[in-house]
Amino acid sequence: MKRFLPIIIVALLVLGFAQNPLFVVSEGEQALVTEFGKPVSGILGPGLHFRVPFIQTVHRFESRILKWDGDPNQIPTKDKRYIFLDTTARWRISDPLLFFKTVATERGAQGRLDDIIDSVVRDAVSGHLLVELVRGSDYQAPGDAAVEEIQIEGVTVAPEHLVGREQILANLLEKARASTPEYGIELIDVQIKRINYVEQVRQRVYERMISERKKVAAQFRSEGEGEKADILGQMEKELKGITSEAYRKSVEIRGKADAEAAAIYAAAYGSDREFYAFLRSLEAYRKADGKNSKLVLSTDSDFYRFLQKMK
Amino acid sequence: MQYHQGGRTPKPMDQQVAELADRLKKGGGGKIITIALTLLLIFAVASSLYKVDTEETGVLLRFGRFNSFAEPGLHIKIPFGVDRVYKAKTGRVEKEEFGFRTIKAGVRTTYTKRALEGESLTLTGDLNVSDVEWIVQYQIADPFKFLFRIRDPKSTIRDIVEAMVRKVVGNANVTEVLTTERAVLATAIEENLQQILNSYDIGVRIVTVKFQDVNPPDPVKAAFNEVNEAEQQKESLIFQAREQYNREVPKARGVGRRTIQEAEGYAIERINKARGETSRYLALLKEYRKAPQVTRQRIYLETMEQVLPNLAEIYIMDGKGTSALPLLPLRAQGQGGKQ
Repeated sequence: MKRFLPIIIVALLVLGFAQNPLFVVSEGEQALVTEFGKPVSGILGPGLHFRVPFIQTVHRFESRILKWDGDPNQIPTKDKRYIFLDTTARWRISDPLLFFKTVATERGAQGRLDDIIDSVVRDAVSGHLLVELVRGSDYQAPGDAAVEEIQIEGVTVAPEHLVGREQILANLLEKARASTPEYGIELIDVQIKRINYVEQVRQRVYERMISERKKVAAQFRSEGEGEKADILGQMEKELKGITSEAYRKSVEIRGKADAEAAAIYAAAYGSDREFYAFLRSLEAYRKADGKNSKLVLSTDSDFYRFLQKMK
Repeated sequence: MQYHQGGRTPKPMDQQVAELADRLKKGGGGKIITIALTLLLIFAVASSLYKVDTEETGVLLRFGRFNSFAEPGLHIKIPFGVDRVYKAKTGRVEKEEFGFRTIKAGVRTTYTKRALEGESLTLTGDLNVSDVEWIVQYQIADPFKFLFRIRDPKSTIRDIVEAMVRKVVGNANVTEVLTTERAVLATAIEENLQQILNSYDIGVRIVTVKFQDVNPPDPVKAAFNEVNEAEQQKESLIFQAREQYNREVPKARGVGRRTIQEAEGYAIERINKARGETSRYLALLKEYRKAPQVTRQRIYLETMEQVLPNLAEIYIMDGKGTSALPLLPLRAQGQGGKQ
């Protein structure tokens, strides 16, 4: 036994570092065994596997979900707006053998996906309006704005004919998916990561936003002035109302009082007119009384007569 | 392992092995064996122990295949690559920042926004641009799926978060995004995001999506502020007008009441006067009727008595004459008509 021990150790080392007939496929991997280039195994999942050393080669592939990242692109939409679109996708190797045959490596696959997805995305973008790409199907226009008119080449598009972003993405994915299985690739989904105006357009959008805000500001100010005028008008009206009402009532009251007083006087004085006239004229004398007044007496007057009698 | 003994295929490596064996047989190799065995033992023991930290969960693969999860603590595994352990930080809540980056976290955290416009500028449904900053917190719900179902999960999560934020913000309007609907939108993003990640089945649970600063883009900010200002102005104009109203109307009401009360006072006075005067008259009349001639004369004379002393001049005119000729300047001769 002692004679063989070192030999065994060395043999183990050799097996470990070179052509081991046993190999491990880890979770997250899948493998394929070829014999002089000819595939001899099915798809091998995680676990311990065997192969013939020196003759058979193991090819390992990811079984995890992989990422594809599009090169951000400037694409014109159907309504001729240049937008900047960044797409991303998830994919996995569904058929390692086919994958190995057609694209060989992940890098090859990425290149192929570039071709497929970029063209599908380009078609989708240039086939739809910007609003369709941005909005979902259940988009609600701002409540205060008038119904928005979307025009393309002079023809108005009814809002119910608009397609939402979800639908565009679903169609796009379906199209792209159609051509990936031939590379042993399963396309899981495609997402629009970023969508924005290109720089020049953005400046114009900012200008539009500014003027729109200014419009709103002007409206607020005007509303303020309007309400102020309204309140002041209301005030004027109430003031006039209050003052004139008070005047009316006071004149009425005075009038009634005058009338009542007149009635009282009439009732009393009417009982002996002559005596009243007499008293009243004397009263008038008394009223006229004042320093430096002059009295002209007629010889007919009662007073004169009294004076005569006294003589 | 009969492999080298048979020597069926005389390869150089086999020869080497044979030579080595010869040398060992000759002796003097005992030491090497002892050292080799000791090293092997140390290596075996060291590599069969592993530690899982408090916030981690270990995933043990045996021959590449899933075997078990390992809780925090010290564990034993089979060495020489038979068992492999992968760890995932399942206890941690991971945070991803969008539109800004924390430079230095601390009591006073500093942020940067440099060159992140591409990430933060987002199109709203009414085709305006808003500058949105947000964070996402997630946790690894299933470490096995997180490790072995997706490569580079972090970048995938980032991609999908961005896509979902743009989807949800694109479905809203700029005013909603900037003001009222932020919480609602964040919830919608969270739901959408979790749904997509579930469809990938990668064992990630979204803890929260939160908007941080949501602003109009810098060039437009001033205009947005102007709207706020105008709104304040509107309010203040209305308040001014209300103030003036409140200042003047109650006063006018009071003045009006005063006018009426004055009139009422006049009325009372007028009627009382009338009543008083008439009662006096009636009383007098009663007496007069008893002795008309005497009373009449008496009243006349009493009046004259009062009137005459105050007069400056008295003229007497002949009643028969039509002109004012025969005048007797009484006053000029003496002091009044008091005789």
